[in-house]
Amino acid sequence: MSSEISIEALLTRRKKGYSLEAPFYTSEEIFKLDMEIIFGRHWLHVGVEPDVPEPGDVMVVDIGKTSVIVMRDDDMELRAYHNVCRHRGARIILKDKTSVGNLVCSYHQWTYGQDGELLFAEHMGNDFDRKCRNLKKVHIRSVGGLIFICLAEEAPDDIDRMAAAIEPYILPHDLRNCKVAKTVDLIEKGNWKLTMENNRECYHCVGNHPELTIPLFEYGFGFAPDGTNPKRMEHAAKYEALVQSCHAGWEAAGFPSREVERLADVTGFRTERLPLDGAGEAHTKDTRSASRKLLGSIGERKLGALSFWTQPNSWNHFMSDHIVTFSVLPLGPDRNLLRTRWLVHKDAVEGVDYDLNRLTEVWEATNQQDADLVEISHKGTLSPAYEPGPYSPYTEPLVEKFTEWYVGRMSEHLLGKQAAMGVAAE
Amino acid sequence: MQQDAGPPPVRNWDPETDDTLVCRAVRDETQDVKTFVFAPRHPCLFRFKPGQFITLELPIGGETIHRSYTVSSSAARPHRLSITVKRVPGGPVSNWLHDHLKPGDTIRAVGPLGEFTPGVSEAPRKFLFLSGGSGITPLMSMTRTFDDLGDDHDIIFVHAARTPADIVFRRELDALTGPGRHLRVAHVCEEVGGEAHWAGFTGRLSLPMLGLIAPDFKDREVFVCGPGPFMKAVRAFLEEGGFDMSRYHQESFNFEEMAAVLAAGAPPPMAAPILDMPSPTGFRVEFAKSGKVFTCPPDMPVADAASAADIRVPTSCSQGLCGTCKTRLIAGTVEMNHTGGIRKREIDQGLILLCCSRPTSDLVIER
Repeated sequence: MSSEISIEALLTRRKKGYSLEAPFYTSEEIFKLDMEIIFGRHWLHVGVEPDVPEPGDVMVVDIGKTSVIVMRDDDMELRAYHNVCRHRGARIILKDKTSVGNLVCSYHQWTYGQDGELLFAEHMGNDFDRKCRNLKKVHIRSVGGLIFICLAEEAPDDIDRMAAAIEPYILPHDLRNCKVAKTVDLIEKGNWKLTMENNRECYHCVGNHPELTIPLFEYGFGFAPDGTNPKRMEHAAKYEALVQSCHAGWEAAGFPSREVERLADVTGFRTERLPLDGAGEAHTKDTRSASRKLLGSIGERKLGALSFWTQPNSWNHFMSDHIVTFSVLPLGPDRNLLRTRWLVHKDAVEGVDYDLNRLTEVWEATNQQDADLVEISHKGTLSPAYEPGPYSPYTEPLVEKFTEWYVGRMSEHLLGKQAAMGVAAE
Repeated sequence: MQQDAGPPPVRNWDPETDDTLVCRAVRDETQDVKTFVFAPRHPCLFRFKPGQFITLELPIGGETIHRSYTVSSSAARPHRLSITVKRVPGGPVSNWLHDHLKPGDTIRAVGPLGEFTPGVSEAPRKFLFLSGGSGITPLMSMTRTFDDLGDDHDIIFVHAARTPADIVFRRELDALTGPGRHLRVAHVCEEVGGEAHWAGFTGRLSLPMLGLIAPDFKDREVFVCGPGPFMKAVRAFLEEGGFDMSRYHQESFNFEEMAAVLAAGAPPPMAAPILDMPSPTGFRVEFAKSGKVFTCPPDMPVADAASAADIRVPTSCSQGLCGTCKTRLIAGTVEMNHTGGIRKREIDQGLILLCCSRPTSDLVIER
């Protein structure tokens, strides 16, 4: 399907406001470039600080063929290394999560300190220069407790700009003093871009997410004022008024809430605190808090859900009592891993302060529904009958912004900066 | 309508997640033996094999002391776990337990562990249990477990005590010999003490005496537990009597007694490879999983002593750096000078690196 037309040509002729041509979802060749250019050179959300709460805690994250060790050192700093022994390349840490003294390869016990320095390697002779055999570093950055890594030699520096903009929004939720109550890995049978596109709109919510639409207003992500359904128009107007009054109240109470949207940045992101329906407290079936212990110094349960999206691979919801984080990691052109974490206050006791099922049920159901949608989308793009269709200008502008970002990032690396600007300016 | 799902299943006690036990009862067994009954902090079940031991971590005199005690209660009654402790003159731990531990107190513990167990099988087997003093506890646990399970094995239970008043579990053992059971009990007392009409054996257990108690002892599987000299004597006369030593099992956890004997200046017992007594030049080290026992000089890393005794331990850097030789210290104390291969919290959990740990007492190591 793909080979006749070059990827450069496909990028150049991409029609604005339309979904991508099939090879972007199906081709092995484009998937390899996605891994190299998007997942190899941008900041990726891979975990949260409570994944590695104590010195010596280690988490392994696999991004395509690259395996990365994320470690908490004795000074409580985060460090990241390629999970490859400098001897003969064996994987060093084999478990997803563990605790270690030093980093030791189980094959021949080459031993690396927390700073990645090779401390011990037996039988290598006097001429052996250990200094050249330290672990290879990976860029790592915590933004308010969300862990980002970048596999590139030089990481995009606009992460500072993102951190400066977003930290006032998320720091009140004190993610660093949370614990991971549950992590769920879901394999979605579709291209990672379909997962991201699906996440960037709520056009599909009413028709597919009976649980999520209990707390969540679909209007938070765009609305078509075509007047065909007066009841909906009325709801949307009410929602708009609710947003205005909630934002004013929350901001006055010290919780930044208004939309910040920089999805076109190299490290693209968007945030907004969204009012919730019903009691307005959390993404639960009764819209009330899932955990009795509120986060940080938050005293107000009805704080809506702060939505924080990053490009290319995450979305997160910060509520007064819990946080849900999502990280997308591609496994192949037609497969990706959605890793979801639910966090509560570190002192919250399961069964006493929160019920795990109540905490997770809305998003467990929603994730599966979304995975099914991604699967049918992917199957559709394999058909010769598939051709790019138009995004709704009202409910899907954020999908367009994701796609535009993707095309721009790929073009800059494949066609050079000038060409990419040209594409963007067209 | 809501369905009643019944009570949730009760979990097994896991010292990795909750190593605290609550003392629920203290019972006098004899004038210097008490049984301490423990419960988990939250409802859960003790899963162990009869004959296994538990290691207590006790705050005594500003120090943390680890001591292992074999469980005396039945493995078929998992809600409680008990140990039965004899007061040892000069023994800091047994005296502390006797004088201080009372119902409601909590202590930390790991285990149960150990390979000194007949296992549990319903096929009839023939056992000979030989116990001396407080060495009765693992054999009592086995006997109680078999009885609770209705496993009617043919057991001859021989217990050696100083006087009839010192026989632990005397009445319960007698009761277990009731009709329909294949348990026979014989007590051997060194002196009759205050019980002038003592009709049992007197003197020390010997081969001729065993021949009278258990003429078919050669057909039996033998489990022995007691003080070092007792086990040494038993072993010697069983060998002399032509017993197949592959069916011989022994256990000794009388560290305190051994330490007291050494402290009192008593001559160390004669060296015998399996008698496991500390030699004056080192500490006894036992690897609980493999059952291997060797001596480690006080200034030598345990890994080196193991190597000298031809016992292979996975190890690499030999300087406390790589952590390859990390394992759990079940009983005893060491001085460890590591260089980053182990975390403080791992040490707090009882882990050590064998390559850089030198014993400061006898040790039991999970390896």
